[in-house]
Amino acid sequence: MRIQNKFWWFAGVTLLFFVIIIFSMALLFWQQLLPHQHDVLLNIFKKHFAYIFLGLFIILAGFGILLDWVFRIYILPLNKLVEEAHVIASVNPSHRIKPEGSKDIIRLSKIVNEGAERYEQLYQQVRQEILQEYEHAEDEKNILAALIDELPEGIVICNEQGKILLYNQQARLLLEHSECVDIAPNDNGAEVDRSCFIGLGRSIYNVMDAHKITHALDEISRKLVQADEEITAFFVNVDPDNRLLRVETMPLLNQKAEMAGFFLILTDITQQVEFTKEAQFLMENSIQKLRASSAAIRSSIEAILKYPQMKKAQLKDLAQIIHTETISLGDTLERKLSRFSGFVKEHWPLALTGTTDFWRIISRKAKDKLKIDLVWPANETSQQIRIDTYAFSLIFLFVCLQLKKITNRTRFECATNREGRFVCLDLTWPGDPISIEELHRWERHQLIVDDERMPFTFKDIIDSHNAEIWSYFGKQTTQRSYFRFYLPAAKRPLPDSLRRVTVLPEGRPEFYDFDLFNQPGQTPEIDQRPLNELTFTIFDTETTGLNPRGGDEIISIGAVRIFNQRLLQEERFDQLVDPQRPLPKESIQVHGIQPEMLIGKPTIDMVLPRFQQFCRGTILVAHNAAFDMRMLQMKEGQTGINFINPVLDTMLLSAVLHPAQEKHSFDAIAERFGIRIVGRHTAIGDAIATGEIFLKLIPLLAEKGILTLRQAREASQKTYYSRLKY
Amino acid sequence: MASLVLIVDDEPNIVIPLQFLMEKNGYDVVIAQSGEEALEAIAKYIPDLILLDIMLPGIDGYEVCEIVRLRPEWQHIKIIFLTAKGRDVDLAKGMVLGADEYVIKPFSNEELLAKVKKYLPLLNENPK
Repeated sequence: MRIQNKFWWFAGVTLLFFVIIIFSMALLFWQQLLPHQHDVLLNIFKKHFAYIFLGLFIILAGFGILLDWVFRIYILPLNKLVEEAHVIASVNPSHRIKPEGSKDIIRLSKIVNEGAERYEQLYQQVRQEILQEYEHAEDEKNILAALIDELPEGIVICNEQGKILLYNQQARLLLEHSECVDIAPNDNGAEVDRSCFIGLGRSIYNVMDAHKITHALDEISRKLVQADEEITAFFVNVDPDNRLLRVETMPLLNQKAEMAGFFLILTDITQQVEFTKEAQFLMENSIQKLRASSAAIRSSIEAILKYPQMKKAQLKDLAQIIHTETISLGDTLERKLSRFSGFVKEHWPLALTGTTDFWRIISRKAKDKLKIDLVWPANETSQQIRIDTYAFSLIFLFVCLQLKKITNRTRFECATNREGRFVCLDLTWPGDPISIEELHRWERHQLIVDDERMPFTFKDIIDSHNAEIWSYFGKQTTQRSYFRFYLPAAKRPLPDSLRRVTVLPEGRPEFYDFDLFNQPGQTPEIDQRPLNELTFTIFDTETTGLNPRGGDEIISIGAVRIFNQRLLQEERFDQLVDPQRPLPKESIQVHGIQPEMLIGKPTIDMVLPRFQQFCRGTILVAHNAAFDMRMLQMKEGQTGINFINPVLDTMLLSAVLHPAQEKHSFDAIAERFGIRIVGRHTAIGDAIATGEIFLKLIPLLAEKGILTLRQAREASQKTYYSRLKY
Repeated sequence: MASLVLIVDDEPNIVIPLQFLMEKNGYDVVIAQSGEEALEAIAKYIPDLILLDIMLPGIDGYEVCEIVRLRPEWQHIKIIFLTAKGRDVDLAKGMVLGADEYVIKPFSNEELLAKVKKYLPLLNENPK
């Protein structure tokens, strides 16, 4: 009940009590009087009724005004003071009380504010110290987390029930497929949580076939019992996008060597399998072609040799066969097998490098290791090549070393030239070029330069780069000798395919939370569960207007999750929706979403099924949830999607906690709790801020003895605001 | 009467020297260039021996071999697979299906002839 209503009830009851007492005394007095005295009194009453009535009215009115004054000056400010002082002490030390009411209360407010000032200073100082200590530990954790996040393999760690405790971005990319899996009922007829999202606390079985994982775990259990050395299990998963994932499963053991969970290491092998398949096909096909051709040639030749006296026409036929099959052989070798070798070379791990960068590296190394000066024009245009920088610099140094030995020179000029599809890296000197015979000798050499070596020959590395070498004398041009590397020119890749630079996050990244090992079982009675153990979806909608029944439509849904009392901002749902109706100008002023931003966006019947998947198994939380829920419910008929999740409302919960506050608007609560809103009136911005508010509400509710979902819902129902209808 | 050899291969360049070789060694030769043609020729001529390629357009060599082995009246026909499929499994499969020999391309004429002669001793040693 609102504090005003409570007070006036109290005042009314008190007044009624006094009236009853006075009336009873008057009745007693009346009965003591004689009949003529009754007449005298009645006469006086009739004669002066106006005065008596006026007097009574003035007394009552005075009494009312006095009460109102007492209420506004003493009672209400005092109640507000209590609530706001509690806000300062509990969630927002920066909050200050607006002094109002009687002199004494204003003085008290000022004293509380002064105390708050000192408390805040002390609070910030201690917080700063703790933060500094914490940062160091957190940095190390962040490095680990960032590393896991950047691994090329997808990593997922689950507890025994398959709830996700850790995952990295690669796992999200590999597991969240374009199509959601259908919602399938389980044996009890209840819906199983089979959303297509990966997230902390969600089940791995939402995104991967449970049978395969169970099979792998059974295999691991068997290996554990047999004390097998190799305890991993593998399977291949094919997702709805026809991607092949190689999944390596490993157990996570507790101190007693029992399985406490499991790791999944995911590798996308689609390309690899395709490559192997294609290469194998090419190879088999070529071999069969070669066999057929050589069979025809051999058989014909042997026939000619055995029967030299054969008829001319027969001889001509056989000679013709030999001729055509020899051509076909050459063709197979040229087209199929060279394509095959190109295939293999394409898959050698080469990195995109600019030639000027390469010259810079190589000239420094040549100077340090071999005392050779490589001079290169600093202003030349850099060409892109693909090389294994280490291996290629080693063969370059090897060449320099050999050139030094042969020419007795310690200085060579370098140049880069582009010739069609090739980039030429030249070393030049005055004098004779290197003979082909000498080059052949180099090719067989193992790569050793100074203390650096590789278990490959010079030729191996040249071949793996699809490169060529030779040496010549520029007779018509420079009158110098050249040693030339021919390398295929590379194109700059699209930015998308470049690897991201790892930036350590400021806070703890949200994709891991080891506290989850202590999660309660899978299906407890949800109403009885403490609020701090539940998973929430905090959401907000932006709409074309404020009248759900009058045809206003959703144009944006934003949602984030709270899991284990952490707001998981990265696991977000942020979707613009085509409302299929014009946007009123007034609404654009509120949310800033222009009509052109909604062109081509999915319609609500496409968005809601996905949003329902996102929310499945969680408690919905919104500010003024009645409005957002009404917007969703208006679409039930059209989409067949019912949101049956339990709902909590931050506006009602704020009213439960702070009944003396006049305002429970989103901005007022955010200000009271010291929450900065990024992106006010965007669905996702508001959802995040609502989430932060909700996290601050949970401990305050607990202080009031509101611990479970049921208690929170029941308390909300009793507030004044819960009667608002949309 | 000379023994009849059916050569089944879709590559004329291998058929011509084979035909020459067989005829030179005193065999009559019939030629088929697909599985269907081979089955027709078998029904029509009932050859003594088939030089059978595996990769044929339409019905492949394995299937032809299987069909021949299912017909009791064709049990006496010898089958030599002559193929570019050189993997162990291909060979094993051919033998399981009832082939008498499996020769991988490229082969020597002598080797092939020796195998043919094993099953079809020449009645008339005078070559054509």
